[in-house]
Amino acid sequence: MEQAVKIDMIDGSKSFGEKNVLKKINLTIEKGQFVAIIGKSGSGKSTLLRLVADLENLTSGELLFNNTPLKESKVNITMMYQDSRLLPWKKIIDNVGLGLDGQWKDKAAGVLDSVGLLGYKDEWPSTLSGGQKQRVALARALIHEPSLLMLDEPLSALDAFTRLEMQNLIEEIWQNNGFTALLVTHDVREAIRLADRIVLIEEGQIAMDIVIDAPRPRHFSENNLALLEEQVLERIMYGEVQERMKKIK
Amino acid sequence: MRKTWFNRFLPWIIPIIILVVWQVVAALEIVTPSLFPSPLSVLVSGWQLTVSGELFTHVGASLSRAVIGMLIGGLIGFALGIMNGLSDTSYRLSDTTIQMIRNIPHLALLPLVIVWLGIDESAKIFLVVLGVLFPIYVNTFHGIRNVDPGLVEMGRMYKLKGWKLFKAVLLPGALPSIFVGVRYALGVMWLTLIVAETIPTEQGIGYLATNAREFMQTDIIILSIIIYALLGKLADLIAQFGENRALKWNASYNKEL
Repeated sequence: MEQAVKIDMIDGSKSFGEKNVLKKINLTIEKGQFVAIIGKSGSGKSTLLRLVADLENLTSGELLFNNTPLKESKVNITMMYQDSRLLPWKKIIDNVGLGLDGQWKDKAAGVLDSVGLLGYKDEWPSTLSGGQKQRVALARALIHEPSLLMLDEPLSALDAFTRLEMQNLIEEIWQNNGFTALLVTHDVREAIRLADRIVLIEEGQIAMDIVIDAPRPRHFSENNLALLEEQVLERIMYGEVQERMKKIK
Repeated sequence: MRKTWFNRFLPWIIPIIILVVWQVVAALEIVTPSLFPSPLSVLVSGWQLTVSGELFTHVGASLSRAVIGMLIGGLIGFALGIMNGLSDTSYRLSDTTIQMIRNIPHLALLPLVIVWLGIDESAKIFLVVLGVLFPIYVNTFHGIRNVDPGLVEMGRMYKLKGWKLFKAVLLPGALPSIFVGVRYALGVMWLTLIVAETIPTEQGIGYLATNAREFMQTDIIILSIIIYALLGKLADLIAQFGENRALKWNASYNKEL
């Protein structure tokens, strides 16, 4: 496995026309760290993810991967989206091997096995459930042996049970492979379960940055995690209360 | 089992009723048989033309015009659709012109085509080319433009570029729409051919019908019309077969038709 990547964003700003979506963000993510980015819709958290994934370019500021500018670094980034984005016209195994050359079939079968879907390798994606499709998307992301795995609300469309299963799977795979992981989510509990660190984005700025060092696997009845969840939620909501107060005045 | 047998039979009930009624009415000789031949006499003249080999000459001539015209027009339409679907520059350059030409009813060009190209094969094929080009162009273009941008972004993330991206994402995504264009174009192809074959010629189903008109052979005129209908249905079946094979990943094509 390729070495995990260290990410530095220095004074990173992004605007679309007149709208400043991100304002001078300074953020360092250590090698192998699992960081959750939370925030309300429109806070700029997805833009931050897309910048790091090289799907958007910074308006100003710098983005470094292992101390080299993003465009020059040869870092292997893969991504899981909210929808699985499997190609419906390719069999499962061919979806996993997308973009690979040479002898990849055995490797693809191995990765499919690790997400528990080897038996489905010759099926069409349309025959799979939502959770199974996301497992395939995870396999497709893993086969490239990423140094950085981006997770853009990958579990938000799944039912509660499947979501728990997937959280366990993602945690296990991250622990075994040691890549850097960046998770964007609405779900505070999910962030606390999975992440080493939670970054809250509000109006294009980092509003909170906390480290969670509770041992894994995490249980909400231990280490005051339930209390932490409540505090984080309160912090997010408190901001909103302030906003409303301002408007009333 | 009985259900499938019944379902297979179902589409044929109405044609069979029409045939029976037609035969009965013709046998009553309300209208003189030379104007209103019975299905049997159409069948007999069909058989005679088959035995003499004439039918194959004419059907062959029409088929070759259809196929050549469809291939040339289809390829041009496909190529233009792909180009304009992929490139905004190409789209801005050529789409307006293509749309202007598309809005001319191509059959209205018949007199001009005769003057310019004469009355030989090229005139007929040219009309077919013109007829099939636009449905394939429009549907290919929209197919490419409507490929889910999320899939394209995903493909780029997995290092697919240029030809690989086209082959893995864009073309298969556009294929359902392209097939709609092909099936529509097949209809236009036969329609154009029927009109084009009224240009004086010595071979083809159109010639068979025109010639029969001169001699008041109503049965052969009707035979020609039926042959057009059968060929049209056959072409559509072949297109449908290709569609089902190429789109078998798509759940809505998976059911037996």
